[in-house]
Parts: sequence; structure tokens; C-alpha cells
Amino acid sequence: MKKIYILISIISFNIEATNFEPYESTYKPLPYSNTIFKNANIYDGDGNEFLETDIIIQNGKIIAIGKDLPGANTLTRVDATGKWITPGIIDIHSHMGVYPAPSVKTSSDGNEATSPVTAEVWAEHSIWTQDPQFALALKGGVTTFHVLPGSANLIGGRGVTAKNLQRNTINSMKFPDAPHSLKMACGENPKRVYGNRGQTPSTRMGNIAGYRKSWIKAEGYLSRLDEYEAKSDEAKELSYKPTRDLELETLAGVLRGDILVHNHCYRADEMAMMIDVAKEFDYKITAFHHAVEAYKIADLLAENNICAALWADWWGFKHEAYDMVQANVAIVDQARNGTGCAIVHSDDEIGIQHLNVEASKALSAGIKAGFNISKARAMKWITSNPAKAAGIYDQTGSLKVGKNADVVVWSKNPFSVYALAEKVYIDGALAFDKATGFEPNSDFDIGIINPSNKRIEE
Amino acid sequence: MIKYKILIALSFILFNSSYLEAERIVIKNATIYDGIDDSSYNGHILIENGLIKKLSKSSAIQGDRVIDVEGKIVTPGLIAPDTEIGIVEIGALSVTRDDESNIYDVGFSIHSAFNPNSTLIPWNRSNGITSAITLPRNTSSPIGGLGSFFLLDSKMNINSNADMVLIGRLGASGSSSRAETLSLMDDILSFGSSLNKKDIGSDLTIDELIESSSIASYLDLKTRDVKTLFRLFDENLPLIIKSHRASDILNLISLKKKYDLNLIIMGAQEASLVIDDIAKNDVPLIINPINNIPNSFDELASNIKLAQRLEKAGITMMFNVSRDHNYHLIRQGAGVAVANGLSYGSAIKALTSNVAKVFNIENRGSIQVGNYADIVVWEDDPLEPSSMPERVFINGVETDLTTRSTRLRDRYTKDLDKPNTYRN
Repeated sequence: MKKIYILISIISFNIEATNFEPYESTYKPLPYSNTIFKNANIYDGDGNEFLETDIIIQNGKIIAIGKDLPGANTLTRVDATGKWITPGIIDIHSHMGVYPAPSVKTSSDGNEATSPVTAEVWAEHSIWTQDPQFALALKGGVTTFHVLPGSANLIGGRGVTAKNLQRNTINSMKFPDAPHSLKMACGENPKRVYGNRGQTPSTRMGNIAGYRKSWIKAEGYLSRLDEYEAKSDEAKELSYKPTRDLELETLAGVLRGDILVHNHCYRADEMAMMIDVAKEFDYKITAFHHAVEAYKIADLLAENNICAALWADWWGFKHEAYDMVQANVAIVDQARNGTGCAIVHSDDEIGIQHLNVEASKALSAGIKAGFNISKARAMKWITSNPAKAAGIYDQTGSLKVGKNADVVVWSKNPFSVYALAEKVYIDGALAFDKATGFEPNSDFDIGIINPSNKRIEE
Repeated sequence: MIKYKILIALSFILFNSSYLEAERIVIKNATIYDGIDDSSYNGHILIENGLIKKLSKSSAIQGDRVIDVEGKIVTPGLIAPDTEIGIVEIGALSVTRDDESNIYDVGFSIHSAFNPNSTLIPWNRSNGITSAITLPRNTSSPIGGLGSFFLLDSKMNINSNADMVLIGRLGASGSSSRAETLSLMDDILSFGSSLNKKDIGSDLTIDELIESSSIASYLDLKTRDVKTLFRLFDENLPLIIKSHRASDILNLISLKKKYDLNLIIMGAQEASLVIDDIAKNDVPLIINPINNIPNSFDELASNIKLAQRLEKAGITMMFNVSRDHNYHLIRQGAGVAVANGLSYGSAIKALTSNVAKVFNIENRGSIQVGNYADIVVWEDDPLEPSSMPERVFINGVETDLTTRSTRLRDRYTKDLDKPNTYRN
């Protein structure tokens, strides 16, 4: 018995040694609030609506959804009559922590704009965990967010998915086992930033050449790595392991399918081109971000199984954002018989607090454009679809038995501007309660205006 | 021959827009938020010659065209008090920006740069904004830059109120102390308040005046700048100062008292810390009600409840947005303010009559007999951003709600069998 145990531990050690993932999550949920929500109206995040239905959450998971569920006496009862329950909102495009508030140079850490390809940097190494924006987003129902590096670079570095449970180290907020992402950027930003310095890229063709050069390097690195890993143990001892290269490790991670590509790209023609680049080097683009012109190539996105993460109606702040249509989200959603993947994202510290209203605007524009889209379906845009794009849909993003109990109780239908999140649960633990004023406050919020008070006094 | 004449007369009537304006339009069965009363009433509106001719709560009104809106909400056209509409087409494209001057520090006017063909005009109109105040970027002077009021009717013959507001700023600069900015502001105002009609009688005397004033010559003021400072005091021109920090707001209130300024503070994220002083001194504020971000060390007290608190203290408020270009989001901000405790009536006023009142925009901003008929019929609740205008009237003329955005939408949802370039 002891022998077997040792054997197992050796095997598991070996597995860890080959797939070693540094900077591991140390996340622990708050104490569970085992609860039965009675008589709630529900959008489950998978496209369904249930009226006057109960939900039970226990030990961090959703354990039952149904009418008139018998709840054990040990459960806290929340009367949700007339209220709405949704999965925790997920923002697939956030810069919280890397562009924290206050917006000052000393903590503006989102763009390593010193070289057009910086695949070696990781957003999580920039995140300021005292950013007061996390708590504000929580009050808007956001339980999970994906932090990306900025868009100055062609390849900007790794993004990270975090639970919105503010702690004072980033590892304790990292979503356990969520894949990393790679931020790439098309168009105006890289060519402006480097073109202004007389460097490459200064044109869109320079942009494309930049990506291709990087992927060629990554292919070479990956084949050296594969070659080494295919060797027998003896052969390994006789040869050298390829020297670690932070930049190429990340890019090889994409080519191996472990790291998900999130590509900032506004124009339709550029998105089509990026799909070709991905085909040339056999990697997958998970989502285009901002994608103001996604509606022009909605079918192409659906065919290639690529999500588009969009604003409802922002436009005109730059040339590549000039062709905005309010039905963009809906057109992407409805492409190829409704197989498109639309996401409403924020990229903004205010927008992240109101993603439900952003989805509401996008829905109403879609209906006006002639599409028959239900609110239950539109709820996917801010829950299950971003969960899929972050690679965490098996754990969160919809209210399904067995999934994490990331739950928001809204004062009224969340497609109204007047709806407020009243209770927010992360992994079955109450993280925000409007009624009692139970909410996180970052260290930044303490004693900064008046020594005895919190920054925000209700 | 007579027939021919009739035909000419007919075609004249059909194609002359003044005839259209003379058309008597009745908006029937409206739920009217008139921009003055906090609550709505059910009624009918008669529009004639571009004006609101009659309002009736009961009896039906006769007209050439009767539009039954079946109980839908009708409000005054929204007035956006802080925009770059008409002078900036694309934010990050400097060749489409006309909001800056490198020469005129105080008297820089953007009025003649206004482009009535800007795509922002139909876009904002289709969101219920019928008129706007367009402001330049801040100049190098703490007080400088003239804004104008424009109707968003897309007419080449611009309907505007030129140079009706002066702007300025006070706060953190990153290079020099805010105390320096405040002193400079005080010096400029002191110079301005010393001017009288005789001084600005001729350009020659203005030149002498500049030479004899240390501050005017230091700032290298031009004739236009001096004339603008004269107007500030002579006409008691509204002066918008962008400022956030509570202590700065108090300093601005002191300046208001010292010079009897027609002061409006914009931003004012820390207003709630000095709310009594603001109320007592009758300073209207332009705030972004959705902005609860402590975005700088001047804005630490940012709070989603600001609008509600201002209402409680009886302070006149108006709304702006933080993202340039997206002025249509003022409605969303107003809705969020209501969700967080602001009364509905106050939110409507902040979007309409308060702006008209504070900036002396006569006969607009409310649905009253005698006012210009700037009127919006909403699909649903105007403070729900998912609800859009169904009809928009400016000066009594129903406007086209087509935008470049709706054209692009239609192009990519209709006639899809044709190549996109051959679609409508």
C-alpha cells in the first residue's frame, strides 16, 4: 500500500514537472452561504428563462433548480419573489488592476509598449490588487473578469482570468485552472505607437508581417521542444533541453492549444486577414475584441467558431471605430442560424458595472433590426459566452446543477437600467449584500479622505 | 394658363419648407413630461410655425396632421451641455478635430468650425438630442475657449447661439501647482473686470491696454481675448470651470463671490463634500452621474449617489458623459442616477430645461406654449437606454432619424445575395 502511494506520488511529480505552471492560483472562497432562493425569476445563462423557480446552492455549487424545492432547515432562505436571478456576470475584456484607479503613471501597467512583440509579459504581474474598481464591478454583478494587457503591441502578452473576490495577492484571486490568454492587437494602435517612433510596424502590412515573423519563431521553438520531449529518458540525458524562452513559451502555448488568443481588432478586413494568419500557423482565435465591424463578416466568424466581444454602441473615438451599428452584437449572435458567439464586453471601469444595461441596448437594437431574440438568449452575451471564451464554461457562466454557485440576485429584470444587483455570490459565498452593506473595501478606500471613514460613504 | 399657375403654386407649396413649418401638427394622446413639472400629464400638443402653439389636457385639437402617439412618453428635445458635436468627427484623428487653438488663449471661438454635415448630428438626433453646446478643448490659459449652442437639425444654414459660454479648468496639472492656476485665474479675472466699454472701443486702445497690463502681456493676449473678457463681465456670460476636488470647488466659489461670476462647475466629482456651499451660492453643476470612479486624486469622493445628493440639496444639475463621441449616453447616465435615488422628474429636467435655464437658451428645453417645438416621442421610457426616439421634432419640423449607422445596419441585414458594395 505504501509502495503504491509512493509510486503515485512519483508519477504525479513527473506530471507536474513537465506541465509545470508557475504562479499557481491560491484562491479560496469565502465561507459558504448555503442558501435556497425561493420563487425567483431566472435567466440561466444558457438561454433559458424560468419563472417563480427555486435554486439551492450548497458548499459552493448549485445543487438544485426547480419549482417548490424542499429546502433543508440548515439553508438560509432568500425570498426572491419578484426578483431576478442570473449567473454571475463575466467581463471578457477588463483592464482592472493593470489600469487601476486613480489613473496615474505609477500604477499604469497595462502596456509594455517598448517592443511590438512582448509575448513574454503577463498581465497578472502588473495587477494592483488594491484597485478600488474591483468592488464597484462586484456591485454590478461581476463575479469573474478577464484582464488583458493593452493594445499597443501586436502581441501584448498573457491575460489572466480572476475571481472578483478582492484579496491582496493576485494568486489568491486567480481563477483556478483557467487557461491563460494571449492578447494580440490589429490596426491603428500598434502602427501608431511604433510608427511614431520610426519603428516597425508603421503600416497594417507591417502589422501582419510582425505576427507572421513571431509565429515562425514560435514554430521553430515548438519543434525543438517537441523533438526533445519525444526522446527517451536516456536520449534526454545525452542532449540539452532547449533553453527556456519566455516569449516563445507563450507563443508555443498558443500553437499547442493551451493558451487562448484574444485579438483586439476593429475592422472586418483585418479580422478576415487575422483568420488567415491563424490558418497559416494552425492556431485558433478564440475571440475578436471590440470588433466594431464584426457584423460585416458575422458568417465568417461563425464558420470559424470565433466569438466577437463587443460594445453595444460605442463609436467614432477612432477611425477604425467609425462604422458602428447598434445591432452588431445581434447580427453576430444570429449568424449561421444562430450559431454565432456574441459577447458584450466593457473594456471600461464604468461599463463593467452596467454590462446588463449594455446587453439590453444591444438586444433592443437587434429586435429593431428584425431579429427574434429573447432576453434569456441575450443573457448569454454576458455570462455563458464570455465563460466559453475564457475557457471556464465547465465551471461557471450558467446556472446548472454542479457548476460553481456564482449567482446574482437583481432587484428587477436585469435588462432594465433601474435594476440593481442586491446580492452577489461567488462560489456559493455571499460577497456583496446591498441590504446589509456587506461589501469589500480595498485598502485604498480606507481613511483616504477622512481618516475615520471609508472613501465612499453611503 | 390658369391651370399652369395653379400647378406652379402647388409645387411651390409642396417644396417650400416654410410651408412645412406652417403645417399644423397635432401630437395626440401623449404622456407629457414637460421638463418643468416633476410628474407627467396626458395631453395633446399643437405645433404651428415651428412653435408649440397650444397644449390641451382634455379636448382634442384640430390640425393638418394628427399623430396619435397612443400614450407614449413625450419630452422636450434633450440638450447636451458638454459636447464636441460638429467640431470633432473622429476622436483620434487630428485632421478631423477643430477644437484647439495655438494662438487665442481666451477668446478662441469654435463657432465657425461647426460642420452641419457631421455624422454625429443625425446620430445624436436619433438618440433624442435635439441641440447641444459644443465646447473647445481647454486652452493653455486656465480661463479660455468659447463654446456655442447648436440645433442638431443638419441645416447648412446653422441655427446657433454663438460664443455663449466661456470655459476654464482648475485642478491637478502634473506640472505646476493648482495654486498657480488659481492665482492666474484671479489675475485674468481681475484684468477682465477692470475693462469697460471705452477700453475696447478700438483695437488700438486694446493694444495699449494689453501693454499696460502685466498679466495680459505675459499671456500674450490678443484683441479677441480681451473682447471676450470684457463680454464675460458685461454680459455676465456663463463660465464653465472643469474641476473636481472639494477644496478647488470652494476656491471657485470664492472667485464667484469676488467677481460676481455666472459660474458653472463641470465634473465636480467631490461636490458632495462641499454640498452646502454649492447650494448656498447657487452654483449649477454639470456632472457625469454614472461616473463613480476615483479616476484621479482630485476625484476620490466619486460616488454613484452624487445626483441624488445634489437633488436633495436643491442644486441645479446637468449631465455629461466621460467618453468623447458617445454623448448619447447622457440618457443612460440619467437612468442610472434614477436607479440610485434621483427622482425621475429631476433627471428629465437635468437633460432639458436645466440646460436651457442655466445657459440662457430662450424658448427651448421645455414643452410650454410659445416655445420652439423641439419634441421627442419615445418608444418607451426615455431613461431606459434600450428605448429610442420614435419621432423627433426640431423647430416644429419632424426630422429624419436615419443615420449612417442605420444605413450600415440595413446594408448588412438586407439583400445579402448581392455583394455588399452593390447593396443599398
